Amino acid sequence: MSDLYREQLLEHYHEPQNYGVLPEADVDVQLDNPTCGDTIHLTARLDPEGRIAKVMFEGHGCVISMAAASMLTEDVVGKTPQEVAALELHDVEEMMGGLRLSMGRVKCALLAVNALKKGLRESGRL
Amino acid sequence: MTWNLEELRREFPILQQQVHGKRLVFLDSAASAQKPRAVIEALTTVYTTAYANVHRGLYSLAEAATAHYEEAREKIAHFIGASDPGELIYVRNATEALNLVAYAWGRKHITAGDRIVITEMEHHSNLVPWMMLAQERGAELAYLPVTDAGELELTALPPLLADGRTRVVAFTLMSNVLGTIPPAQELTAMAHAAGALVVADGAQAVPHLPVNVQTLGVDFLAFSGHKLGGPGIGALWGRRRLLEAMPPFLFGGDMILSVKKHSATWNELPYKFEAGTPAIAEAVGFGVAVDFLSALGMEAVQQHEQMLVAYALERLPEVPGLHILGPTHPHRGGAVSFWLEGIHPHDIASVLDSEGICIRAGLHCAEPLHARFGLPASARASFFIYNGTDDVDALVTGLQGVVKLLRR
Repeated sequence: MSDLYREQLLEHYHEPQNYGVLPEADVDVQLDNPTCGDTIHLTARLDPEGRIAKVMFEGHGCVISMAAASMLTEDVVGKTPQEVAALELHDVEEMMGGLRLSMGRVKCALLAVNALKKGLRESGRL
Repeated sequence: MTWNLEELRREFPILQQQVHGKRLVFLDSAASAQKPRAVIEALTTVYTTAYANVHRGLYSLAEAATAHYEEAREKIAHFIGASDPGELIYVRNATEALNLVAYAWGRKHITAGDRIVITEMEHHSNLVPWMMLAQERGAELAYLPVTDAGELELTALPPLLADGRTRVVAFTLMSNVLGTIPPAQELTAMAHAAGALVVADGAQAVPHLPVNVQTLGVDFLAFSGHKLGGPGIGALWGRRRLLEAMPPFLFGGDMILSVKKHSATWNELPYKFEAGTPAIAEAVGFGVAVDFLSALGMEAVQQHEQMLVAYALERLPEVPGLHILGPTHPHRGGAVSFWLEGIHPHDIASVLDSEGICIRAGLHCAEPLHARFGLPASARASFFIYNGTDDVDALVTGLQGVVKLLRR
């Protein structure tokens, strides 16, 4: 029916990975997209070398924002905060299986990565 | 059927295309309507035969452009029942029309302690200009509440009018989200009895049902040309005595009678409010769009859309977990908003797009109304003259596909 809503994406939407709140997190951040009501609460822990060790999220929103969040929690493990800060739209599209997002959905897909960047900044890791 | 739908659709070139290999099902006319060939050709005709700046040139081409521009004004004024074309001001859109009133009338008449009454179902364009005016002047902004059924709570108005502090009551003639058609004559009579002016937002009503400023009795009417099949242009109608007492909103060329180094006097109506070179071809196209609708007849347009609303209200509940916002009787406008349990409206719109179906998803520029219903967003299908029951069928089938794909 739709190229956008591929099976892989829907799997992540219906059964999100790393859903919940990480105790004793180094990063704890909330980000909303007021134009569509999407919200995300993201928590992350860093390893002794300062790399992302574990990320968890909870929130609600559209398929794109929630699947992107789920995929991000897997994709960023092992990355440095600087590597996270350098992630751009095309990286997120690659992460989501080479998806091409329409202009209207870009904000949805970037919600989680923007939350993580914000959290890293706020916790002094960036 | 009020007209032959297939014949009418052929008058809209854009509807002939396919989207993702599917017939284009356009259900977003409440945002902006598609254009009939007559309007598109009128723009080309102006630019190829009769374009020059208006009200200035002493040559025949400029006179022809001015004549077309002013003829369109007369047609548009007549379309809304106004007898005086001087009361009809061209603006960019309904938003600009409402801002014009809030600035030019509002800044002159609203002072600290005054009250401005609007409704919870207003589009941001008939809300934020009043909010800003109230904040600037220390006036109170009061809201007429919306009931769970999506109607205005009329009993809340008399208490807001009782103390004589209310200077203006501004409301939509048709909600762009709920499709609700408030009782405008009744509201106007109540406001006038309390000495308040009435500003009507006709952006949704004017394209879809007969609107007559004399019958309604309102003091200002804002509406858009682009929502009734015209180009990107709008209009403000206002009572002559009110417009004459208002200062200009924008200053510059054409709105001026005489300028000295340290003083200026203003042109007569409507030019006082039309500073600078206007959207000339667009105004002519606006007039042609009005002709197009007049030829169908606005009663017939309303009848056609009520038939579609009745059919949509009957068929949409077939979709599991679908909830309709607003009145569930067909005496309402053709904007039908809804939400699906467990599915974000953006996903509904994206999946329907892959089926060639265009709907709106989001807040539809009515955030306080969505907050009133506790919704982060909604989906909206809206009808116009070129829509038929086949479009409603396509929507229902599409929504069933959405549910199948996204709900577990």
